[in-house]
Amino acid sequence: MTLQQIVDPERIEPELLQIWEKLAKEKMRACLFNLIVFNRLSARTDYIRDIVQKVSNKYPCRVLFISSDPEAHQPYLKTAVSVVGNEAIACDYIDIGVSGPEMEQVPFVILPHIIPDLPISLLWTEDPSQPHPLFAPLSKLATRIIFDSESADSLLSFSEKVLKLRTETGIDTADLNWARTEGWRDLLSNLSGRGVDQITDIRITYNARKTEFFCHLKVQSLYLLAWMSSRLHWKVKKISKNLHFTFEHQNGEIHSAEWEKLGPGTVISIDLATKDGHLFQCSRIPAQYHHVSIQISSPEKCELPYHFVLGQTATGQSLIKEIITKGTSVHYLEMLKELEQLDKDRLC
Amino acid sequence: MLNNPLEELGRSTRNIDPSILVIFGATGDLTTRKLAPALYNLGREGLLPANFACVGFARKEKSHQEFRNELKTAIHQYSRVQPIEEPFWKNFQEQIFYHRCEFDDDRGYEALAALLKQLDSRYATRGNRIFYLSVQPKYFSLIIEKLAKHGMIYEAHKTVDRWSRVIIEKPFGHDATSAEALQKDIITFLDESQIYRIDHYLGKETVQNLLVFRFANAIFESIWNYKHIDQVQITVAEEIGIGTRGHFFEEEGLLRDIVQNHMMQLLSLVAMEPPVSLSAGAIRDEKVKVLQSIRPFTTGDFERTVIRGQYGPGFINGKKVVGYREEKEVDPQSNVETYVAMRFFIDNWRWADVPFYLRGGKRLPKRGTEIAIIFKDAPGVLFKQNGRKNDPNVLALRIQPDEGIAMKINCKVPGPSSPIQPVKMDFRYGSYFGQSPPEAYERLIWESMVGDSTLFARADEVEQSWKILTPILDYWAKHPSRDFPNYPSGSWGPKKADEMMEKDNRSWRIL
Repeated sequence: MTLQQIVDPERIEPELLQIWEKLAKEKMRACLFNLIVFNRLSARTDYIRDIVQKVSNKYPCRVLFISSDPEAHQPYLKTAVSVVGNEAIACDYIDIGVSGPEMEQVPFVILPHIIPDLPISLLWTEDPSQPHPLFAPLSKLATRIIFDSESADSLLSFSEKVLKLRTETGIDTADLNWARTEGWRDLLSNLSGRGVDQITDIRITYNARKTEFFCHLKVQSLYLLAWMSSRLHWKVKKISKNLHFTFEHQNGEIHSAEWEKLGPGTVISIDLATKDGHLFQCSRIPAQYHHVSIQISSPEKCELPYHFVLGQTATGQSLIKEIITKGTSVHYLEMLKELEQLDKDRLC
Repeated sequence: MLNNPLEELGRSTRNIDPSILVIFGATGDLTTRKLAPALYNLGREGLLPANFACVGFARKEKSHQEFRNELKTAIHQYSRVQPIEEPFWKNFQEQIFYHRCEFDDDRGYEALAALLKQLDSRYATRGNRIFYLSVQPKYFSLIIEKLAKHGMIYEAHKTVDRWSRVIIEKPFGHDATSAEALQKDIITFLDESQIYRIDHYLGKETVQNLLVFRFANAIFESIWNYKHIDQVQITVAEEIGIGTRGHFFEEEGLLRDIVQNHMMQLLSLVAMEPPVSLSAGAIRDEKVKVLQSIRPFTTGDFERTVIRGQYGPGFINGKKVVGYREEKEVDPQSNVETYVAMRFFIDNWRWADVPFYLRGGKRLPKRGTEIAIIFKDAPGVLFKQNGRKNDPNVLALRIQPDEGIAMKINCKVPGPSSPIQPVKMDFRYGSYFGQSPPEAYERLIWESMVGDSTLFARADEVEQSWKILTPILDYWAKHPSRDFPNYPSGSWGPKKADEMMEKDNRSWRIL
């Protein structure tokens, strides 16, 4: 990354050109898409920046990173430019720092710097169910909005908002927490030929190790449970505060454990039992976190365990996948609808 | 004019007839910003005739040397090539003169005729004249009449050993009636072959390249029709407001200022049939046919598919800017449009039911002129993802700035799964040819010296364009807008323009 140059908004493009002229012999300027990131300055900002940096290293894109500071004493609007990318191919990074009433300027600052004909992804790292003056103008620009339900105060309101947005505007949406469960969904779908659709009990264990970036740790587990329930048409009967779910013919439980090096909120294991007495025990291997050991047993036999490799282990991979994927996952939308039932009592 | 046996046709750019260029309005803004730098660059690159002189004609009192100094300052400020080459300028300025005169003063024209004769003998310019009318349109007829009266306009068909040409700056009239009246006035003294109506857009390399692109590349012309093209979007976006042109803009508005000329020219170049030759007549014949095929607007269209807008306060480049009604020399209740979006249909075989969306405006987020050809979707049988079709292919011809051509295609993202991502193949004039293209005015002045009127608007083109647009102006005059200002500065225009597209299941491109 080159040093950030603080510039007036009108000097953004000329300054970038100058930087590129200096880099002409070392790097090639590239761009696959526009990535607008909205973030409120907090302990999470560095984490978000890190993700974005990783994305732009792998897929060069024009990053427009907006950091708002609601606690600043003076209103301000600052813009800075730099070039990011460790390899020979690199891309533009435009930083927009803003606070107070200057916020209303942000869409006007961004508009001239969108690269035409390329997709525009908006990574909205705040809770979309909370009204924000920038959400409407930025989402109008975007071809795809990526949320992170980690930021949501209420998962129920989050689901309602995302579903409403989808119904009203038809815009493609994605969710980082949903993307983080993809490996587990692949695993379960792999097992479906083995009688998983006959489940009577499901027990999900997640990593309850909090960090300053993550505190809503049950979300991924709830997503998985809601997804199973929606796909297999379970009917909810009762939900208790200690995360025990009673369906018409099934039971679900969510438990926690603490694993030191595993990402917070990440699912550690899923155990399933079926009507005919089969047991599926799927658990991450402590020495190789992205490997899951699967042990299947029945009243008659106990199979040798085998490994399933969960994809997308590196930070930022989920975001990359969500950016390059088109449309909105039908499974995700159905899961959100189901979540409206499961999370009625604000479990998360 | 007899052919020169020593000239290699199509190659030489130097065998141009000697001539004198007289600029009316020589102390005006256009001379400062465009004409002076254009002449300097033409001269510096050896593209002016060897025997050449230039006379500035204006009402202000000043000496030849003062005028030369002013031009030098202008060139220093606005020329695309810097710094000024002093040795060249030192010689070149000797060929530049100033003549003070009121536009209606017969004695002044007499003196001008005498000066031109004197320069003819000094520079061997053989009596050839180009009169550049960089003045308000109300003076066009008067100046031409005076020039004719004092023997400076030659009868085109009777004079073979020398020629006179008149370059007219837009606007060519205020509506269909006034354009017709102006035409009637000037053809009393001039033959159509002597009139060069400048639309500087036609002088831009990228606009000229449109013909090359379409007719020298077999792959594009074969799909340039209703079978393959879903829509065409032409955008002329300006970031700036009206600046010091408040008075002018209050009289003209955007439709007259940009749509009637620049945008209609772009439209006809994109939509025209292949001409039988590259002669001015053949090309202009085809352009006129396009304009004649445009479906006339109905009363309902004036509300539904012709959208007008006026900018309010907003932000440009992080700075607060005032709305149109707060600009200098603008009526605080003004109903003049600073934005226009409209949908055209060209009722001919090639363009049956293909909408042409035109949009132009002031105080939009960035400056850019672009023609985008948006192709029909590929059959959605394969490669759908989550029910989403892939993006349509787009061919974007960037006229300015960053002149070039971009093609949007879909591409597989590397890896085992098959997500598809739109990518862009981008050709940029600047980086490919390693130099900035010449300014439009350089090319147009040169063409007028050569006597090629291809890049100038012909009377029937102007007339036809006014015929299409005058009903809109009449409707607007009778139905002033009630929602002005209706878009903030720094945005892409009024909501209604987006709604127009949404009704057609389309959307405007982001530039």
